[in-house]
Amino acid sequence: MNWLTTRRQFTLMIAPAFLLYTVFMVYPILYSLYYSFTAFDGVSSPEFVGTENYRAMADDSAFWTSLRNTGVILGLSLLLLIPLAFLLAVLLSGQVKGSAVLRPLVFAPAIVAPILVGLVWIFILDPDIGLANAFLLAVGVPAQPQWIGGSTLSPYSVALVHLWQQIGFVVTIFYAGIRMLPREVLEASTLDGANRFQQLRHIVVPMLRETFGIVTALVVTGVFKVFELVYALTGGGPAHLSEVLVSYMYHITFTTQQYSYGMALAVVVFLIGAVASALTLAGMRRRAAAR
Amino acid sequence: MNEPRKPRTGRIVATAAAYLITFVILFPLLWIALLSFQSNENILNRSFSLDDLSLANYRQATQTLNLLVMYKNTLILAFVSVTAGLVISFMAAFALTRMVFRTTRRRVQSSLRYYFLAGLAVPVYVLLFPVYRIDIALGLFGTHAALILPYIAVTIPFNILLLTGFLREFPEEIEQAALIDGVGLWGMAWKVVFPLMRPVLATLAILNVIYVWNEFPFAVTLINDPTLTTVSLGVSQFQGVYSVDYGAMMASATLVLVPQLVVYALFQRQVISGMTAGAIR
Repeated sequence: MNWLTTRRQFTLMIAPAFLLYTVFMVYPILYSLYYSFTAFDGVSSPEFVGTENYRAMADDSAFWTSLRNTGVILGLSLLLLIPLAFLLAVLLSGQVKGSAVLRPLVFAPAIVAPILVGLVWIFILDPDIGLANAFLLAVGVPAQPQWIGGSTLSPYSVALVHLWQQIGFVVTIFYAGIRMLPREVLEASTLDGANRFQQLRHIVVPMLRETFGIVTALVVTGVFKVFELVYALTGGGPAHLSEVLVSYMYHITFTTQQYSYGMALAVVVFLIGAVASALTLAGMRRRAAAR
Repeated sequence: MNEPRKPRTGRIVATAAAYLITFVILFPLLWIALLSFQSNENILNRSFSLDDLSLANYRQATQTLNLLVMYKNTLILAFVSVTAGLVISFMAAFALTRMVFRTTRRRVQSSLRYYFLAGLAVPVYVLLFPVYRIDIALGLFGTHAALILPYIAVTIPFNILLLTGFLREFPEEIEQAALIDGVGLWGMAWKVVFPLMRPVLATLAILNVIYVWNEFPFAVTLINDPTLTTVSLGVSQFQGVYSVDYGAMMASATLVLVPQLVVYALFQRQVISGMTAGAIR
């Protein structure tokens, strides 16, 4: 049985959330969509130009670089973050002494503001003052790679820092998943003579399918949240070579004030983000159904 | 005889590996704290020596930065937007799951729920410029409300996802008992259901406070008044303020980092369970 109410009461209850959400989330997307088909300088009224902004995007090498860099971060996150986090979660759920202390420590970077994370890592990655190159010198390697600020390594460095910030969070999700596994199954397999590795390969991993799905979804959507790291570490430079989609959109909109081109980029980011979320959600559902 | 020894070496290797990885993860934070006691020359020449440590950078940092203003603004933003956001989200979630009215059907509720949940797929960065224009149009620019309203809006989809999930499983018997006791709609929502949702609300409060505390893109776009600076905005300015004084920059970073880590240490259990609950739901 539910509470019987009037339409007016229902409306009053839902109105504040509905209004705020519509004005500050739904309307902005429609706004971006509209302005992406115009030429708009922020002062005079926008002029309809059709798909011109989108055609300009196809010829814009900085856009393709930022798309590629976003892809690099996604690829490295999927290839490194998930296996490393899983490994660490397995270690911590084993009989490691003091794992109750290690878990919150590993998680700590996840609560640090990303902009502060960027600042901290300057002191490790900066070619002139950073620890990384000082270390290389100290061990006798004279090479001084341009971890940030150079033309090739920057996106990989950003990906590495992103991975550093995310790992504790992912470890914790895997850890929670491992702890929820039924104990009897693992005990039975030990009695049957399975070693730790066989257990992992044939029992833990298959039973954690859903957790792997959640982690994948979080990693994919998390890639579109990489902004502050680029902002603090490289500012997108040099010549936009280390830009990601979101930072490039920010640069075009707020630094160069090409509003309608910025809105076209925003629409593309929105579409890629929405499709990525939908695909991972659909994938998770199919996996859940397959079980 | 081989039996008990094998797992033991395995355990030692696993323990060593776990401690090593944890140390590597924590190292960048420790490094900043350590360097913040070094002179600028030492940092520039990368001659890190532990014998000549001083508090000079901290004196420099506290003189140049208005840390108190940053913290005050961030606390105001976090308190107002999280409290208001949770109340508003709870009202909506309550209406979406527990209220049935005579003239319309459940279809309205479920399509409204999907309308809210669609927001989960929106990367907030695409909202920046439109929200900037909306704030100007509404005359919010230069006030705390310029950030508070979008912060609430952005957290609504996830709050509603979690709250409707729990409210759907809310036992009807409690509602029936309250009905018999003659509770009205208002009393039902606030005096009966709201207090029982406390665990979920606490989880959401933690997640939302962390979000607001660390939020940067909206702050950098919507705040141009130095008296409204937030912590994350202040951090981003360290680079500009001390273009060559790396020691002071690191001392400033440490001054922001330490309180955040202390609060985390106090609440880490709830923070971690909140974060995982958020991920798993």
